[in-house]
Amino acid sequence: MLEVDAINAYYGDSHILHGVSLSVRPGEVVCLLGRNGAGKTTTILTIMGYLQPRPGRIRYKGRDIAGLPPYALARLGFGFVPQERGIFPSLTVRENLTVFARTGRGGAGSWTLPRIFELFPALQARQRNLGFQLSGGEQQMLSIARALMLNPSLLLLDEPSEGLAPIIVQQIIEVLLRLKREGLAIVLVEQNLSAAFAVGDRHHVMNKGEICFSGSTAQLERDDFVLREYLSV
Amino acid sequence: MELFVAQLLNGLVYGVLLFLMAAGLSLIFGLMNVVSLAHGSFFMLGAYLGLAIFKATGSFWLAFVLAPIPVAGIGIVMELLFLRPLYRRGHMDQVLLTFGFTFVFLDLVQTIWGRAVLHLWAPAGLHGIVHIGLGVFSAYRLFLIGFGFAIALVLWLLLERSRIGAMVRAGVDNAIMAAGLGANIPALFSGIFGFGVALAALGGIAAAPILGLYPGMDSEILIPAFIVIVIGGMGSLRGAFVGSLLIGIVDTFGKAYFQGVALFLIYLAMLAVLLVRPQGLFGIKYSDASVAPAVTTTSRPASLQTRTSELGVLVALLILPFLMGDYPRALVSEIFIFAIFAMSLDLLLGFTGLMSLGHAAFFGLGAYAVAILGTQFELNAWLGVAAGVAIAACGAALIGFFCVRTGGIPFLMLTLAFSQLVFSVALKWRDVTGGSDGLTIAEQPSFFGFSLSRSLVMYFMTLSFFALTYWVLRRLLNAPLGHAFVGIRENEQRMMAVGYPTRAYKLLSFTIAGAIAGLAGGLYAIFNGFISSDAIYWTASGDILIMTMLGGAGTLVGPAIGTALFLLMKNVVSSYSEHWLSIIGAIFICCVMFFSGGLWGAAQKLQWRRVAK
Ligand SMILES: Nc1ncnc2c1ncn2[C@@H]1O[C@H](COP(=O)(O)OP(=O)(O)OP(=O)(O)O)[C@@H](O)[C@H]1O
Ligand SMILES: [Mg+2]
Repeated sequence: MLEVDAINAYYGDSHILHGVSLSVRPGEVVCLLGRNGAGKTTTILTIMGYLQPRPGRIRYKGRDIAGLPPYALARLGFGFVPQERGIFPSLTVRENLTVFARTGRGGAGSWTLPRIFELFPALQARQRNLGFQLSGGEQQMLSIARALMLNPSLLLLDEPSEGLAPIIVQQIIEVLLRLKREGLAIVLVEQNLSAAFAVGDRHHVMNKGEICFSGSTAQLERDDFVLREYLSV
Repeated sequence: MELFVAQLLNGLVYGVLLFLMAAGLSLIFGLMNVVSLAHGSFFMLGAYLGLAIFKATGSFWLAFVLAPIPVAGIGIVMELLFLRPLYRRGHMDQVLLTFGFTFVFLDLVQTIWGRAVLHLWAPAGLHGIVHIGLGVFSAYRLFLIGFGFAIALVLWLLLERSRIGAMVRAGVDNAIMAAGLGANIPALFSGIFGFGVALAALGGIAAAPILGLYPGMDSEILIPAFIVIVIGGMGSLRGAFVGSLLIGIVDTFGKAYFQGVALFLIYLAMLAVLLVRPQGLFGIKYSDASVAPAVTTTSRPASLQTRTSELGVLVALLILPFLMGDYPRALVSEIFIFAIFAMSLDLLLGFTGLMSLGHAAFFGLGAYAVAILGTQFELNAWLGVAAGVAIAACGAALIGFFCVRTGGIPFLMLTLAFSQLVFSVALKWRDVTGGSDGLTIAEQPSFFGFSLSRSLVMYFMTLSFFALTYWVLRRLLNAPLGHAFVGIRENEQRMMAVGYPTRAYKLLSFTIAGAIAGLAGGLYAIFNGFISSDAIYWTASGDILIMTMLGGAGTLVGPAIGTALFLLMKNVVSSYSEHWLSIIGAIFICCVMFFSGGLWGAAQKLQWRRVAK
């Protein structure tokens, strides 16, 4: 469904990604792991069209999407949850959810406000609050919920557990598991290994802008070298 | 009581007109981070196109409804063709670009409609006066108040209650995130830009029956509209509304009851607000201070090669006056003076990364010091120059104290407002400054015993000050202080982190720049023998900004080249063609579009590329 083929990316003149490849099949959760500064966010931003791969190809449902702007990708079915969450601070929670909402297309489950509130009851109670009044955990949930309201067929999540209390992380893991059961394809960037192991089907480990390990959960759990060298376990 | 109510209503009328300007300005700023200096031009175009439609159709209402449409079209084309390619660059380039357009639009209006004040009468139905409880009032003015409030209400509903309004607010909050959720940001930008322009044009046609139509109405509405959004908070519609009514009423009452100080009142109101709430009454968004203008180079120690070429240029400049007559000598002398002025601005703009749109204030302090001390106390002009430098430095330290707390676009607006404050003192304190009639410098001083009435002496006098300023600035920029300034331009956070008190450094840069501008002003007073408030109107600050950017900010040579080019064009082109405004505007627009970093910057880039090969 998504094939990223040997992409390179730059910030200005500094070469960050060196030939990163990965693929996501329908209904699959693919994790992107690695230390701070490994290039995970850069990979996500390049997939999402914020950075141009040069060179490199990205195909989505068989179509070449490299060079398309972010808004076109969002309309094609990408749901983006950025690392800094990107809540609109002066919009209410409800407006955050509805402002860019799109109705579902074939395959993807049809997310509506009531279903979102059933998944995240905390948001329902706060729907009239402004975005900047939310706690970190609520912001993360809102960011995920807002992406779901686009009724995406592929969800891109950048470190959803970062900086959150363990109990909130647990809630988010459960939400992701439920989305996975409903058949949503997910690219999940994580530094929290237990979260990645809990929901991931396959894992890519990044280091210095390259992918240095690819494999299933079982393979990664057994690979002490990768765990020690690249994930500092 | 009657008079009071009448003034209140007049204040509301002015406030409504300001709101039509400020609403668009504020929305455009909030969403796109662009302060459009051409917004006043759209106000003016709206009025003139309205007049043209009225003449063609005979219907005021048709003009009222139709005039904003073509103006919005012009605005959208400008956004698409000129602003859009610059989005990847600093926002300052966009501000400069819109400034270039003010020249073109002004020239367009002057060419088509002439310079005289024209009139457009209120429609027949609203000609008369209306008796309201407390007196009589013009029907058209009452209509305007109602209309303005209705527009404000509609805008509020659109923005707060509609989905497209929520999209705009989301874009204002975080355009990058909105793009990732499916917002077509470029289309949204064009739409809002066109919408804001249409509101300004509507303001122009609405104002025409009251204010009349004349070239120059563009900046007369632009400056108070800026003050409105500084007071109200940039990017806030509510702020624009409250700020407009506040300024409208304060200004009208000031003119009625405190004639002498009316002009200051709005600046004082602005300062009061800024001291208590720097982000404005309703502002929530702090604009990022990191929108430094595009500059190409940092200063590097002078190599032997640059030393030799500098010496060569100096020798050429020493020989040059013997090859030319009086008029060109005077022109080159003027270029030297303005080059000093431009280099002082560049210390701030190119080397410290602060874009000031009020630098002419310090030029004015220097010039007026010479003129006033000469006429009132018969002080020798050279002492006047020294006093002017000191006064300009003190003024800069004082004004800078407020301005350097901000950066980026708020800095631009603050310096603009302060310089207009100085301008209004010069304009209104007629007993001392002569207002717009100006002051004549009583007696021209001598220069080492030679009379400055000889063009050759004037040439060498200005050349020596130019060379001296160049040398001092180059020393300063190669010293640790200069490196600190450049460090602040490059990354203020990092400089702060490694222990530099960056605010103090910015203030120092501002003060030095002000002092040198004061020197240029003093020399100009001697050169010109005359100074009036026109020399420090905000457009003078804009001109010097253009000269600096044209040549290349961030270098010392660039501003001098830009000044020479600008003044040569102004003098040469204006003697051949009436359209020198358009020509300079167009050249400047091209320069911003294609040579960010100015002509000298582009030349240097070329040279480096050759060296690299
Ligand atoms: N805007 C930028 N400009 C220049 N370099 C950047 C920029 N953003 C990130 N980098 C650099 O790119 C590299 C990869 O950064 P990236 O944000 O992709 O890492 P990451 O794996 O997401 O790290 P983290 O876990 O901290 O989020 C880092 O070395 C970083 O310093
Ligand atoms: Mg990251």
